Amino acid sequence: MAGYLVGLRIALLRNGLRRSSWPQQAALALGALAGLPLAFGGFLLLALVPRAEPRAGLLLVEAVFLLLFCGWGLFPLLSFAGDASLDPSRLALLPLRPGELVTGLSLAACVGVAPLCTLVALVGAVVGFGTLGPGVVLVVAAVLVQFALCIVGSRALLTALSRQLRSRRARDLVIVLVSVTAVAFNLALQVGARLAERLERADLEALRPVVRVLGWLPPGLAARALVDAGQGRLAAAVAELAGAALAVVALGWWWWRSLDRVLTSAEPAARRPTRQPAGLFPRPLRRLLPADQRGAVAAKELRYLARHPRLRVAWVVSCLLGLALVVFVTVTDGLRHPWMVLAALAMPFLASQNSLNQFGFEGAAYWTQVAAGADPRGDLTGRNLASLLSGMVSTAVLSLLLAAVTGGWLYVPVALCLGFGVLALSLGVADVVSVRFAYPLPEDASNLWAVQGTGQGCLVGVVQMVAFAVQSVLVAPLAAVVVAGVVAWPPALVLVCPLAIGYGVFLWRVGLGLGASWLGGHQPELLVALSPRRAA
Amino acid sequence: MGGIDLEIPHGCFFGLVGPNGAGKTTTLGMVTGLLRPDAGLVMIDGIEVWRDPVAAKRRIGVLPEDLRLFDRLTGAELLTYNGLLRAMPAPVVAARSRELLEVLGLADAAGTLVVDYSHGMRKKIALAAALLHAPRVLFLDEPFEAIDPVSARTIRGLLERYTAGGATVVFSSHVMELVERLCDRVGIMHLGRLIAEGPTDQVRAGRSLEDAFVELVGAGDAGAEELGWLGTWSA
Repeated sequence: MAGYLVGLRIALLRNGLRRSSWPQQAALALGALAGLPLAFGGFLLLALVPRAEPRAGLLLVEAVFLLLFCGWGLFPLLSFAGDASLDPSRLALLPLRPGELVTGLSLAACVGVAPLCTLVALVGAVVGFGTLGPGVVLVVAAVLVQFALCIVGSRALLTALSRQLRSRRARDLVIVLVSVTAVAFNLALQVGARLAERLERADLEALRPVVRVLGWLPPGLAARALVDAGQGRLAAAVAELAGAALAVVALGWWWWRSLDRVLTSAEPAARRPTRQPAGLFPRPLRRLLPADQRGAVAAKELRYLARHPRLRVAWVVSCLLGLALVVFVTVTDGLRHPWMVLAALAMPFLASQNSLNQFGFEGAAYWTQVAAGADPRGDLTGRNLASLLSGMVSTAVLSLLLAAVTGGWLYVPVALCLGFGVLALSLGVADVVSVRFAYPLPEDASNLWAVQGTGQGCLVGVVQMVAFAVQSVLVAPLAAVVVAGVVAWPPALVLVCPLAIGYGVFLWRVGLGLGASWLGGHQPELLVALSPRRAA
Repeated sequence: MGGIDLEIPHGCFFGLVGPNGAGKTTTLGMVTGLLRPDAGLVMIDGIEVWRDPVAAKRRIGVLPEDLRLFDRLTGAELLTYNGLLRAMPAPVVAARSRELLEVLGLADAAGTLVVDYSHGMRKKIALAAALLHAPRVLFLDEPFEAIDPVSARTIRGLLERYTAGGATVVFSSHVMELVERLCDRVGIMHLGRLIAEGPTDQVRAGRSLEDAFVELVGAGDAGAEELGWLGTWSA
């Protein structure tokens, strides 16, 4: 039975590839190649550092084992909706017992790019700590137990949460939480590294208790067993290995119980959350937005910004980046200049990046616009209006925060006017790009970085880079005047305000005109581009 | 598509039937301005669809088979959005939305996101959106699929009242009994061609529509010999 489940996993991977065209397959191969540096990087880290710096060895292995364990726990939650092999309920109709399923699914989970990369990285620990003698057996066993912890822990968590993950609200929440946590973790690492530069060695020693606590977690036990075995403390290694193995058994038991529950008990009836109908227009904007097609499109876009996980994550991440910038400026002495308020201009740029594929978020639902014979100019204007509102709010908040840190309050109006100009001209570029190079995004939105059809990401990346280059070239004249104002003659910045607004609005109107004119004759073609490819 | 020549009179309840892959959805897409044909002419109410799509679309309502909707809006918000897209006055949109939600049994779910609707509820909200601007011609692709019997009866009554007022309904369906009961005229498609068209009684020629359909598209009964093992039970 285990063989069949492994075969099923291989068939799913192979068929996923077969459905792709050759450029998509090439791009997938490139993606797999991109995973190799990570795997070999992990391998080299675990193989070389312990030999060069024995004291850092335990800390490093504990950190890597814990990160691997958490990564295996979190990332399958994101791909749950897209990976058919992760949902145990799909096997509910087959005459299989939970025990058979646990064995088969465990082996099936070892097939794929992620397990391969994990194993390559973990083999580095065998090279780094393996010594001649009986200890090497325990080193290999510790690595295998860590691998089993990742596989069994990940699948146990997925199975326990599988019913919740099938509900739309829980899935949305997981997507937002996991994505935001990943970005926040990355930013915290960078800000932490900045702060760590100020710390003395004695301060780092203060972290020892934290390391000691982490060492009692199952991945920490496996790491300690590995290090002790490598250094010849075999009795301690055996005890720690037994603890980690016990954790694998406990996770396996949890998985078995969860499978039994998922396969044999009825799914609770879905509850439809109801809210009071509040109208299409968000309450604070009712008077601001026109009650026509432009207003309706803008209101719909703003509703989507608040409700669609992909857009919500993009917005929260841009806010986090802005916040990280404020922290960065605060902790770096050389950056606390009043003109740093102008760094808030990063927000309009970020806000306009979603607009480069502003039709992709709705996908084939765009038929509504086509069937209604909606005016393309009004449609694009409404979308731009929503981007302008959300982008200017975040620009205003960031420039105020930066002004509070640097004392550059006089730069706030300049940042706002420049922000408006930069956002307007970026939206002008986006109006052309979004109608000529539209692509659909996956319906389930479970993988926020995926595009429809594997491998399309390469083309999308090229288009976005070209658009970004065009936006940068168009911003250059404004940037030149600002630099001249900051460096040579600050009052020149006052002149920048009307110039930025006029320049931005002019380029926006040009882009809007070009985009709307093409769209006017090609709405059905755009609809085809936004509709997912059907299997022949 | 293999070329279609079809004329549907005003006030008609027209049924388009055919096996899967016959080209019904493609035909409706081309007629409603959603899918550009390579060649040919489509006229609705005297307006050439592909020459003046905006004027033609003002006169039609569409319910496509592939129900992709703006599903992060609530049912009520979706109707408001559709009404404003069609440049209808906001108070009219609000009043008609309330009535349609009530009649289609969606009033309690008006504040629920469409993504949380069942398939049948999505059909009904899409139908409400198609009816909102009171179009002269309504194109419905599989409108009764996944609809519960009570709602199906409501929709049938609504459409019958609608055609009685002079509007035209064109709909595709696999449910022959329904087509036979509702439609004045029927067209049968097969392999991208219209192989029969006319008043329903004339097309079925004394048989049931299902028999006429099966005979025209050339499908036979499943052979008993091929599946003989179905009577031998597994352990």
